[in-house]
Amino acid sequence: MDRMSRRRFLRALSAGGALYAFGRTPGTVWAQSTGVSGFADYKALVCVYLTGGNDSWSTLVPRSAAEYAAYANSRQNLAIAQDALLPVQLQNTNGVEFGVHPSMPGLRNLLESSRCAVIANVGPLIRPVTKAQYQNKTVPLPPQLFSHNDQTNQWLTLRGRQQLRSGWAGRVADALAGGLTEQQLATNVSLSGNSAFSAGEIATPYIMGATGAKEFTGFGNTGTNLQRQLAFERIAAADYNDVYARAYADVQRRAVLYAKQVNDTLEAAPALATGFNAQSALATQLKTVAKMIAVRDRLDMSRQIFFVATGGYDTHDDQLANQPGLLSDLSESLSAFYAATVELGVSQNVTTFTQSDFGRSLTSNGDGSDHAWGGVQLVVGDSVSGGTIYGQYPLLQIGSPLDVGGGRLIPSLSTHQYAATLSQWFGVPVDQLDAIAPDLQNFSPTNLGFLNA
Amino acid sequence: MMIRRRSGPVLVSVLILCGFAAHDANAAPPTRAEAFRFLNQATFGPTSAEIDRLTALGDSSQAYAQWIDEQMAIGPSLQLPAVQAKYAVSKSPWVLHDARQDIWFKHATRAPDQLRQRVALALSEIMVVSQHSELLFMPFATADYYDMLSRGAFGDFRQLMEDVTLHPAMGTFLNMLGNRKPDPLRNIRPDENYARELMQLFSIGLVTLNSDGSVPVNAAGDPFPTYDQLVIEGFAHVFTGWNYSDATLFSKARRTHTTQVQPMKAYPEEHATGSKKLLSYPGVAQPVLPGGQTAQQDLEGALNNIFNHPNVAPFISRQLIERLVASNPSRAYVARIAAVFNDDGQGHRGNLGAVVKAILLDPEARPSAAATTDVTGKLKEPLLRLVQFWRAYDAAARNGNYHFTDSDRVFGQGPLLSPTVFNFFTPAYAPPGEIGDRGLVAPEMQLANENLNTSVTNYFYTQIFLRNSTKKSLGSAIVIIDIADEMAAAGNPNALIALIADKLLGGHISPMLAGEARAAALRVAASKPAARATEALYLIATSPEFAVQR
Repeated sequence: MDRMSRRRFLRALSAGGALYAFGRTPGTVWAQSTGVSGFADYKALVCVYLTGGNDSWSTLVPRSAAEYAAYANSRQNLAIAQDALLPVQLQNTNGVEFGVHPSMPGLRNLLESSRCAVIANVGPLIRPVTKAQYQNKTVPLPPQLFSHNDQTNQWLTLRGRQQLRSGWAGRVADALAGGLTEQQLATNVSLSGNSAFSAGEIATPYIMGATGAKEFTGFGNTGTNLQRQLAFERIAAADYNDVYARAYADVQRRAVLYAKQVNDTLEAAPALATGFNAQSALATQLKTVAKMIAVRDRLDMSRQIFFVATGGYDTHDDQLANQPGLLSDLSESLSAFYAATVELGVSQNVTTFTQSDFGRSLTSNGDGSDHAWGGVQLVVGDSVSGGTIYGQYPLLQIGSPLDVGGGRLIPSLSTHQYAATLSQWFGVPVDQLDAIAPDLQNFSPTNLGFLNA
Repeated sequence: MMIRRRSGPVLVSVLILCGFAAHDANAAPPTRAEAFRFLNQATFGPTSAEIDRLTALGDSSQAYAQWIDEQMAIGPSLQLPAVQAKYAVSKSPWVLHDARQDIWFKHATRAPDQLRQRVALALSEIMVVSQHSELLFMPFATADYYDMLSRGAFGDFRQLMEDVTLHPAMGTFLNMLGNRKPDPLRNIRPDENYARELMQLFSIGLVTLNSDGSVPVNAAGDPFPTYDQLVIEGFAHVFTGWNYSDATLFSKARRTHTTQVQPMKAYPEEHATGSKKLLSYPGVAQPVLPGGQTAQQDLEGALNNIFNHPNVAPFISRQLIERLVASNPSRAYVARIAAVFNDDGQGHRGNLGAVVKAILLDPEARPSAAATTDVTGKLKEPLLRLVQFWRAYDAAARNGNYHFTDSDRVFGQGPLLSPTVFNFFTPAYAPPGEIGDRGLVAPEMQLANENLNTSVTNYFYTQIFLRNSTKKSLGSAIVIIDIADEMAAAGNPNALIALIADKLLGGHISPMLAGEARAAALRVAASKPAARATEALYLIATSPEFAVQR
């Protein structure tokens, strides 16, 4: 983060009227003065990241004659047969009938029972843009549209054109830190490696394995194992002469500090009756998240943001062959995780949402689709006002006013609105949302309304 | 709360300073410490024998260069024969890929062409293909792709671009293989995947670079994009009409054991024949390809168009510096190497051998003590930590193989096992905290987290305590380290620590770590030399000091 954006960030964070303690000295209480006090309730956000850019125009598809015809004409050999789509009743459809992908009956059930909301045509934007403005380059755009890592970075950091390294969930943790001083574990937990999403300007995420925290072999409470562990800990806590050793030592120190604590805690988790597909990487991660949520009180957690990810969505080739498995996995995993939150009695406290690099092009490259821009995202939980489309599901027509070429659709809603809505539900004060979503003020409404407080 | 970090004065390691005691570096042979540093950059890990050899080559002014020349003269150790031989035993793609990974570990640990293999690894992390794709079913192509990188490690970058472009492994991974001309009636356009990543990741990057790798910006502070969507579409049209080489018609081309290791072939009936927009930049020779050219003509023109872009030199030079020497090279270092990329002194552009040599001989790669700062060097990628340890401890299995299936599950990485085309880590990755705050990068830190650090540390536990030369009943495929020297020295803990520090750290161990390792040894009775040796070895091998290449 360069100094300008750091200043801006700090200013936004302190908009609540107080200074923000800054530094990284052990034991410092960070944000005691941000105006955020402790939380009496528990809330968790669970980000399901679909790596590669989910072809979300196949996730939810219009079934009405005219809209389906536009879709089928655009998609050609990638189009899903009209009668194969699973019909679903939704609100705010402008009279259009919709169906979900045939391999997603679980998603249909979540939608029909109003536990899932559809956020239509959302994507990275700095300010609203029309096709003419796009073509004439009169409105600032996120850099390198249609590129995987740049658009992923936009989704995860909301940095726009700033040099912002932190992720939006990391900044949520920063903003709420004053109210979370009792938490024994980081607010952000990633089960899928180092993601920009989870890293705050100040708060450090905890990164665990898909099935739990790994423990150190040969460490223990007695004898040689204890002595070995203590020596290892002293080495990890020592000072080093170069930045790389310092950073690495920090990770070593955190790893040994949290591994046993987390696993001992997880061992106390009740067995879940809800079944998760053990063959699914996504379901495996979500099952661990459910267990972490089940033991939240043992770690004094009142706010948690989990990051899980699954890949294979970059369907340039063999889209028709590969997509059913991907979407079936997504549908089943979201359904199982929702069921687990019901089982744990936290379905109102846990909101699960998808993010993905981008939507995909309406046009085909023969047997797959290409990188595009806007797409559909899903939000699941009992705080969700579900069964409804938020925003406007676009006409999937090549050459439409949203198509900037090749069936790449301009988003109608921005990732800033999406993140701000989730953040506000999570407890970020309205006057600090700019620190989470820096370009939020360019959009209206700032809350999309898909979550009840 | 876990948001905390040490503070307080940085302790200067007396030993580190002493190790780089001032001498006229070029007028004397490399010291053992200097040789250690060099071999850490140029091989998969210093061995005592190689240090002896390098320090015996004369003054530093020519010893390093001679060593490099000798290495470059050694032909590539190849993977494909091992994978093909395995096919007689099993046709399972998983078994064949295991054989591919095993031979990689064997070459990294034992092969004579160390510099070539190290550069091939670096190239495989820039021009990425991965087994985690359709390539699972193409183990021969995957092995042959790596062999292509080994062959081309010191060759011509323009040739390498073409070899990469036409290799069926890349063709499959990024969908150029089978890419067809547009069909407007059916709303079918050429696939843009390869066009995009060739420019973004393999050659020029997203934004205009200065020759020193820095990024110029406009008045608003924005960098200048190197291309736009129309250029991507231009290149996507260039890369149409290519398929496996065995057919007379595009539609009849098939993957076989033979065709998956042969360059793709152009089929005119599926090549887009219109004009194609290419990159525009100062001095560009051909920013648009005329219509009506053959697929080969378009390919030559398009690759020349990219190859001659001013970004290529700083973009590739900086990444090779990052992989071999330093995460945060000075601008001047990048500029010096980029200049060699642009002209090797013989008028050749893109001479990778000259570039690699210049990277390793550069004063910034061979710094004096005074020039060593807290950003010198880099974090080692986990795979290098393992192989360096194996080489230092003469690791071997009785069956002669180095079997390590799915190393990415333990280390977060493995040979051609990246999760995506974006490699295991990106060149610009900066972890939160000091490195990011100071505007530095540490790409390998993307593989350092609580989860992976624990599994890597546990791997070292298993290797050191359970798979050492005192264990006589292990299976013939288990890789075992030789700790005989350490056991012999165990009666004298100071000597023991010095021995380990010599093998793993080039003699530079901080007093703190030396003290901890010595104390660990002394906690074990002198009558148990193996336990003494391994306790000390474990703490040093898992230390932040061994994790860093200085």
